[in-house]
Amino acid sequence: MRQILLITDGCSNVGDSPAIAASVAQAEGISVNVVGIVDEGGIGEQGALEIAEIARAGGGMSRIVSPALLSHTVQMMTRQTVQATIRGEVNRELKQILGVDSAAELPPDKRAEIVRVMEDLGETSELRVALLIDASASMKPKLRAVEEAVRDLTLSLQARRGESAVAVFHFPGERSHEACLLDLDWTDRADRIGQIFGRISMKGTTPTGPALLRVVEFFRETCGKLETEPQHNAPARRDDTDGMRSDYVV
Amino acid sequence: MITSSETRVPPGTVLRGKWNGRTYRLERMLGIGANGQVYLAVSGLRTYALKIGMQLEDLQAEANVLASLDQRERKRPPFLLDVDDAEWQGRLLPFYVMQYIPGVPVKTYLAEHGSAWYGVVGYRLLNRLAELHAAGWVFGDVKSDNILVTDYGRVSLVDYGGMTAMGRSVRQFTEVYDRGYWSAGSRTADPAYDVFSAAVLWIHALDGKRLLHMTKMLLPQNRHPRELMALVRSHAELKTMESWMERALYGKFKDAREASDHWRERMQAAAKDALQKSRGKVPGWMAGLFAASLLLCVSAAAFWLLQ
Repeated sequence: MRQILLITDGCSNVGDSPAIAASVAQAEGISVNVVGIVDEGGIGEQGALEIAEIARAGGGMSRIVSPALLSHTVQMMTRQTVQATIRGEVNRELKQILGVDSAAELPPDKRAEIVRVMEDLGETSELRVALLIDASASMKPKLRAVEEAVRDLTLSLQARRGESAVAVFHFPGERSHEACLLDLDWTDRADRIGQIFGRISMKGTTPTGPALLRVVEFFRETCGKLETEPQHNAPARRDDTDGMRSDYVV
Repeated sequence: MITSSETRVPPGTVLRGKWNGRTYRLERMLGIGANGQVYLAVSGLRTYALKIGMQLEDLQAEANVLASLDQRERKRPPFLLDVDDAEWQGRLLPFYVMQYIPGVPVKTYLAEHGSAWYGVVGYRLLNRLAELHAAGWVFGDVKSDNILVTDYGRVSLVDYGGMTAMGRSVRQFTEVYDRGYWSAGSRTADPAYDVFSAAVLWIHALDGKRLLHMTKMLLPQNRHPRELMALVRSHAELKTMESWMERALYGKFKDAREASDHWRERMQAAAKDALQKSRGKVPGWMAGLFAASLLLCVSAAAFWLLQ
């Protein structure tokens, strides 16, 4: 299972549409989740729209939260996306084998078995999460919270039975042709994560689309050939239309 | 098929199970958990707790846990009584039904009945956790709201959304109670995970203000059991359990059984100390009365002798 988690606080302003890039990622079997991180100021209507759209295009979910809630949100989103991915796959199998659309059409005792299998898969399958961090000037005061969220997520993934790894990018890169830069290569050790964003210089541009495409490429380079998704595949089930999953209670 | 957290099913609604056919009338909402809402429901003459899930698979996973626990602990009446779906306003609501446990969360109980109850409530909690551990489960989300206390400090765990098979990643937790949050260990389910949360529970229940203030002020890299121990040492009631807290927060208990034994020893020792203190110090009024009675006695004797 592969996920990209984009953390940003505003709108893209350079390069291709981030929604298109997210759609490319999804076509490669990578779910894209987005967290909008805000101070008191809020994120603006345009920013909120873009965040929701990227998540929809990427088959993931989006949330807008304060820095204090970032760790918890990132952890929950990752977990829920894993479950949603597994459910999508298992339900697809069910359709093929039993001709039912989902586990909901099975009586509770059969469903119990299916859910047991889903839980096992969710815990044991391989998982890679690449975090893509907006490092535009306005993000500077929030990077501490982002670092903490990365450490916290790694700690959660480390507890899984299945192999898990986290990588971290920030964007834009140092030079104008670099959409983003790798800060932390695949790791599964929370205690080895120290300061991630030590020396980055904050820039004004926000090339979200190109950065997303670069991370998709990185998956391709480091994780071998990616499976492309089968046709007519309903992406992981979403519970409402604005890309926000509502089953989240702190 | 999926309800959102805003969906409230109004009291008086009758849900009819699609598969098993039983009907339940919802009386009132008891609480909202991470995965759904729990209602007080009536079916026939009996009262139950009915949980409506926001997500079918999550709800079923919880029901699975309860079912497997029922299977394991056959001596008591089962927790899980029914699993079904109901049609309501064009939606499918997945739900399950449990026995209804009247009771209040730990924090409320201590506020109502006095903090002197924390010893026995804590002891019962550890014993219950030890039973779960023996069955191969870790409760995961130990916190005040998930522990109901009924008459005379009896403890029932509710909301099994965090319950995790030993060795897997804890399914659901609350940050302040989480071992990982305090840099005190992993999020892999093991007995020490629950014992750690139980220790934080008592700090939260007896000294909640300072604990919450600390979580706001501390930088993430400074979160550490020693900070929690600083709270324990500077609070009169928590201090009586200092050695227990230290072992729990640093993951030094082998399992919840050992933690419960040590808790009981500390309770007994604290009770003895309290008794000794009260013996050592004779209250003023008693001394005064004694002096007065002595005086009376002497003067009575003198009066009698002089006669």
